[in-house]
Amino acid sequence: MTHRETLENWQRAGRKVVHEADAKSLLQRIGVPVPRRDPANGRCVAKMCHDDYPHKSDHGLVRLGLSPDEAKQAAAEMAERFAGGTALIEEMEEGAVAEWIIGCKRDDTFGPIVLAGPGGILVELTDAAEIRLAPAAPQTAQSMLRSGPGARLLEGLRGAEPADRDALADLISRISVFFAENADLISEIEINPVMVRANGKGLTAADALIVLSPKADEQENST
Amino acid sequence: MAEPSTNQMAACRPTVAEALDGLFDPRTIAVVGASRTKGKLGQAVLALLKSNGYGGKIIPVNPSGGEIEGLQAGRDLEEIDGPIDVVVLATPVGAALDALETCTRLNVKVVVGVTSGFSEAGDDGHENEERLRKIMQDAPFRLVGPNCEGVVRPASDLQLTFSPMFNGLRPGPVAMISQSGALAGLMALRLGERGVGINAIVSSGNETDLTAAHLLDYFGNDPQTRVVLCYVEELRDGRRFAEAAQRLTRAGKHVVAVKGGRSRAGSRAVQSHTGAMAGDDRVISAVFRETGVIRARESVAAVDAVTALAAGRRPAGNRVCIISVTGGLGVEMTDLAESAGFEVPVLDEATQTALSRYVPFYGSVSNPVDLTGVVLANPTYVGRCLEAVAADPGVDIAIAIITFVPDQQFIEALAEAFDRTDKPILIVWTGSARSNASGEALRERAVPVYDSPARAASGLAALAATTGEVT
Repeated sequence: MTHRETLENWQRAGRKVVHEADAKSLLQRIGVPVPRRDPANGRCVAKMCHDDYPHKSDHGLVRLGLSPDEAKQAAAEMAERFAGGTALIEEMEEGAVAEWIIGCKRDDTFGPIVLAGPGGILVELTDAAEIRLAPAAPQTAQSMLRSGPGARLLEGLRGAEPADRDALADLISRISVFFAENADLISEIEINPVMVRANGKGLTAADALIVLSPKADEQENST
Repeated sequence: MAEPSTNQMAACRPTVAEALDGLFDPRTIAVVGASRTKGKLGQAVLALLKSNGYGGKIIPVNPSGGEIEGLQAGRDLEEIDGPIDVVVLATPVGAALDALETCTRLNVKVVVGVTSGFSEAGDDGHENEERLRKIMQDAPFRLVGPNCEGVVRPASDLQLTFSPMFNGLRPGPVAMISQSGALAGLMALRLGERGVGINAIVSSGNETDLTAAHLLDYFGNDPQTRVVLCYVEELRDGRRFAEAAQRLTRAGKHVVAVKGGRSRAGSRAVQSHTGAMAGDDRVISAVFRETGVIRARESVAAVDAVTALAAGRRPAGNRVCIISVTGGLGVEMTDLAESAGFEVPVLDEATQTALSRYVPFYGSVSNPVDLTGVVLANPTYVGRCLEAVAADPGVDIAIAIITFVPDQQFIEALAEAFDRTDKPILIVWTGSARSNASGEALRERAVPVYDSPARAASGLAALAATTGEVT
């Protein structure tokens, strides 16, 4: 199935918000690194992914720092409480030096845009994000990481290791191209946080969300 | 009458470039609603067109016929033989729509709709808007407006407007696109007062057909336009506007834009942080910055920016020399320049030696240079000092600050200094209204002249092509 077919199927099924587990499966197919699933050892995170609850932690649907067995048990408990969800057990990312947000949306005036800035809890610093037209070339994505107050976080504050900016710029560009090519089907896409490791060590998408556009016939009705 | 097919109609619709070429240099103009009655739009349009010396053919159109403003009037557009480059609609809305419909059967290139009463009138204009859109769907001409203040092009002595705010402009490198006629008038008047030359002004009104983006693209391809000044409230095809702006700025031209109606992030529910973080106003600032558009906070700051850019000189760096006839204004200018990211460096020793011929011991030859009141008795001193600091290899931009001017020689010496350098020069003249001197020598050279350090700072920021906001 092509990416577009997957998106069209979701849209046809009446989905509006596509939960993390499905969003990550699709993003993985376009080359976005995601955490290893169902690891046999190491520290794990267990999540319950459900289209109706995109903000999982607000509903107690994220459990961190578990052993593989504990994670399975936690997933089973959450599955009982939230029917229709998909349990996700992943390896916890321990080596990140920065958390970033990458988001795309259709702006009413300029069409597809891409945003990148400090992620995780730092998204509350809304002024720190850089915005460009999508698709953004890798060079443009690089400029987003060298401008604004977020730039210093990636350089490494107070002796911290600098983050892998090349990998992050590549991801920003890749997501912006994917979004711009499918902006008729997707109204928003967001990866938050991207766990960025030290220079040369890559990154991983810890959480992701895709918001689908209404179907063409519904769009006509709404205007 | 047999209706021509839609395909034939679309085939003979002029391109944007063909229509605007015709609009800015028309051979024949028909003014629908031309009138002898003072106070009517059509009377004002015809009178301004005539009094500004337009050399082409003007045909007033009025159902009563006869002679208007000394010209033979037609009773109806259909009485006119041959092609009409421009039809101006200056009647009440019903008659304007009838005339627009008539235009679909004639050989017309472009219609300028001064008439109001469409979408801007809300529910009352709804039916008119529907009819307008239906006519425009396959009209064989292009439309500026409606609900606009018109089109002005000094080089063609062309004033298609009812507003006297655009009188007496010089031809030059600045094009203006404005969704508000009144703001176009305000900006044109101020640019005119400073001697800044205007290529064309289009009040684009409701933009039913031709949009700010179309116009920006056209001016980008126009070799006579170096700077485009835009006032926009709603960008109808923002993507095209952004792409056109990027082409212009990459080609070394400048776009200065005021976006009216700033708003906070949309109140509609958002599913993601992205929605909340990319509010409308932040996106506009970001896209303008990305595409090289200088965003001005308001229209007067935009005029200040354009004034500096229109002179056509680009600085090699950010080092500013300020010479002043008074300490206080020099200090204020220095503060503003530094907080805008400019350096006000110590001058070269040779420059300081040259300056010391003119500056008394109680003045200062460091930067800012304080010439003191000695200039009142020596009217050429400021000009000579400006020349000396502009020649300093460590100076990229020179600013001369003067107050009241006792003598015409004073201004002539400044104009000479401007001619002897290629570096950008800004002049702050706080007392032009209290001076025994004319600024004409400065205006005819389009030397940027400001009435306060803060206004000059807006010009300075634009000069550095800091593609951020100008305040």
